[in-house]
Amino acid sequence: MTQTIDTTIYAAVSEAIQAEAKRILTAGEVTAVVGYAAARRKGSAQPIVITSAVDAQKLIFTPACVNNLAVYLTKAKKEIPKSGRIGIVVKGCDLKALVGLMGESQLKREQLYLIGVPCAGVLASTIQPDTGLTSDSIAPKCLECDAHLPQGCDFVPTQTPVSPELEKKYAAEIARLEALTPQERWAYWKEQFSKCIKCYACRQVCPFCFCEQCLCDRNKPQMVDTTPRPAGNTAWHIVRAMHLAGRCAGCAECERVCPMDIPLNLLNRKMAKELKELYDYEAGFQVNDKGPLNSYTEKDDQSFIK
Amino acid sequence: MSRIGVFVCHCGENISRTVDVERVAAQVGKMPGVAFATDYKYMCSDPGQTLLKKTIQEQKLSHVVVAACSPRMHEKTFRKAVEAAGLNPYLCEMANIREHCSWVHEDKQEATAKAIEIVGMLVERVKKNRVLPTITVPVTKRSLVIGGGIAGIQAALDIADAGHHVVLVERDPSIGGHMAQLSETFPTLDCSQCIMTPKMVDVANHPNITLYSYSEIEQVDGYIGNFQVTIRRKARSVDEDKCTGCGVCMEKCPVKKIPNKFDCNLGMRPAIYVPFPQAVPNTPVIDRDNCIKFKTGKCGLCQKVCGPGAVDYEQEDRLVVEPVGAIVVATGFDLYTIDEKPKGSMIKGYGEFGHGKIPDVIDGMTFERLASASGPTGGKILRPSDGKEPKQIVFIQCIGSRAREKGISYCSKVCCMYTAKHTMLYHHKVHDGQAYVFFMDARTPGKAYDEFWRRSIEEEEAVYIRGMVSRLYQKGDKIVVMGSDIAVGVQVEIEADMVVLATAIQPRTGADSLAQKLGISYDKYNFYSEAHAKLRPVECATAGIYLVGACQGPKDIPDTVSQASAAAAKVMTLFAKDKLEREPIVARVKEAGCVGCFACKKVCAYGAVEEKEIRDRQGNLIKVVAYVNPGVCGGCGTCQATCPSKSVELDGYTDEQIVAMIEAL
Repeated sequence: MTQTIDTTIYAAVSEAIQAEAKRILTAGEVTAVVGYAAARRKGSAQPIVITSAVDAQKLIFTPACVNNLAVYLTKAKKEIPKSGRIGIVVKGCDLKALVGLMGESQLKREQLYLIGVPCAGVLASTIQPDTGLTSDSIAPKCLECDAHLPQGCDFVPTQTPVSPELEKKYAAEIARLEALTPQERWAYWKEQFSKCIKCYACRQVCPFCFCEQCLCDRNKPQMVDTTPRPAGNTAWHIVRAMHLAGRCAGCAECERVCPMDIPLNLLNRKMAKELKELYDYEAGFQVNDKGPLNSYTEKDDQSFIK
Repeated sequence: MSRIGVFVCHCGENISRTVDVERVAAQVGKMPGVAFATDYKYMCSDPGQTLLKKTIQEQKLSHVVVAACSPRMHEKTFRKAVEAAGLNPYLCEMANIREHCSWVHEDKQEATAKAIEIVGMLVERVKKNRVLPTITVPVTKRSLVIGGGIAGIQAALDIADAGHHVVLVERDPSIGGHMAQLSETFPTLDCSQCIMTPKMVDVANHPNITLYSYSEIEQVDGYIGNFQVTIRRKARSVDEDKCTGCGVCMEKCPVKKIPNKFDCNLGMRPAIYVPFPQAVPNTPVIDRDNCIKFKTGKCGLCQKVCGPGAVDYEQEDRLVVEPVGAIVVATGFDLYTIDEKPKGSMIKGYGEFGHGKIPDVIDGMTFERLASASGPTGGKILRPSDGKEPKQIVFIQCIGSRAREKGISYCSKVCCMYTAKHTMLYHHKVHDGQAYVFFMDARTPGKAYDEFWRRSIEEEEAVYIRGMVSRLYQKGDKIVVMGSDIAVGVQVEIEADMVVLATAIQPRTGADSLAQKLGISYDKYNFYSEAHAKLRPVECATAGIYLVGACQGPKDIPDTVSQASAAAAKVMTLFAKDKLEREPIVARVKEAGCVGCFACKKVCAYGAVEEKEIRDRQGNLIKVVAYVNPGVCGGCGTCQATCPSKSVELDGYTDEQIVAMIEAL
């Protein structure tokens, strides 16, 4: 049954974001604000970096504000944080990525002014931007969201998002795959990976793929076959999943941008589930010096050795 | 172009029995880059090494592969030979065709094919080896000794007498270990306390020894020559510097009836106590679990009566960090607890013997305390149940030891001898008593050992019955021992007043977690493993760490003392040098790829990773990258495995080398 999701607070949230962005830019607290602005198509949105208070009125928050803006502070956009303290509009899911990046020495908390967004959900990548938010049109990641109201930000509008309990699609799909035999599961992923065209969109959009030179682009030695063939595809996706274990908090940008509809976030969620079960660890809630996969305690599960 | 020389060793027959070494040499000789290949009976022998050196010069070899045993066995040997011939030693690699091939296979055809592949991998790898300069590091000429029993005491005294500082760490409130608990010692029957306590005093008075009693190892960082050891000094509640050891606190303590572990729970002690009167240091400790002050907040009597004001209820655990160059592990043993079946343990227990249920069934150490002049009975052999003198006593050997079905297959080595000693001590003290011993066979190798055992039978009238006991049960105030005499082929039933079980020697509880802190290996029983059973019996595979005493395997006092002096000699050998040459197998950061996530820094166990700023010519900061200090790096490769962008490489084990090996298959 389709449930409508209430997004009426988004208008007030947008106004609050504009006012705060104007204030901090005017006061010189930040040199730039990364946020969302309306794009050309009706109802659509795109990332924007504003540096003057006049532009603050361009900022919006709508169900089309899907992008994880954390990626604008690393990689190709490294010059942005270098210019000074930066304001950034973050949904709860995006904040988890920022928290992870702080733990990995890529960002410093004091360099950021966090404008948190009370968010009931955004649209799925397959839905037209001008559509109303319902349990059908909502992005799958939002169905399992545990961070509708971001914590620990410098500013959060006062509105409270209404978030009904919805059916968790990833959890159900993981349960379905776990019930399969290893052969069946392997056949499933082999088929999924065979679709990959090695466009690396998943890598470009991922806030945690911040290496300047990806090991998959190295050729001495060549660790991963670069052509879109089964062996190299599988290697790439396994390397990606392993590198994200204990770090990815599920912004699902990889899955959103994948032109071949490979369920990449499903793989990430499975890894996250493993970490939760093995180490009682969930990424993105606090700045950790050392994740569970980088540390050893005597309590760690060692059953795999014997 | 590489000119690789390959030398295939027969290892006597160890390799050539299963691997066609001539064929290996012939096949490898055809591989690209190989200029010379031959086989030889013993490559590690003097003529073998001479062959290696001569060929390097005659054939102008650029790299060398020796196909022989494990690099852990002879890598150093061959690298030294290669260096003597004028090549950089790190241009020599070993292909292990013994442990990895001939020893584990039977089919000669297949083993030969595998050996060719193994050597082929190393040929490809050695092509990518780089010239590595030797790294020298300073040696901290101080040693840590873990465990203050006879093993640790002897090692500490020997090292300290050589003029090097020793930090001796003991878990219990006093040093002395098990030997301090013994009454007399075989095979000479001299009093254990009489020969032990002077050594304990020597430790206390030695200017080169720092004694941390009631302390445990918290953390171990660093490597040979440069360890940093964090020691937890548990709160004693008594200031060691102020206490004069007068003992008034112990007299006045109102809690008196706490079973003393030192006396195997037969004697009692107060809540503030020293485990035994000759304790070193002679400083009491408060047992906080039993002290009224700690339980209710009242009392405080010991503090009131203490003249120098040494009692300190507020004292907390303290952590001290000691830099040392070598570590001697002498943690000793525990006795097998027969009535308990630890959860998850492979040890099964001996419920049928009623230990823990029948009060007069005791273990060997309890008998030692009964026989000891300083023990709870003043040296009289009396039954724990009613204090009567036992007139019939039964000793049962091999409890736990050599009992595969119970989980332990090894021999505990000392029980035959100490049981013979027990029968003698018993006969000396109870003239009209009779001792019986159930035994499988008597193992008495050692100087004057067999004579000692014969004496217990021939002069001290012990009756030895070859056979095992099936059951013990209480009948009135007697214990019925049901066993078999297999020499005669009859069932035997003895109504005994007391039964003494010669229980097995096991490593200390927690031996495994200490091993993990130290980074040393241990066997399935948790005994620590030596580097080589015959040729390196006191060294660990981890450089700079040495083993002494029963933590390595069951040992008697003479063997333990010999091993302690041997380990001390090894430490002194290490300390004879001012600088240590170490393998240049260290990590290097490829700065172009490093994004400064510092995952490497977080996982580095040696603290070798630093942050380095990269600036342009105007001094503008471009980025911050990782830098590995080669003097501190331990070469473990954890950073290499952790780096997400593969920007750290371990020299000698680069990705290029590893992939070259895989691709050669």
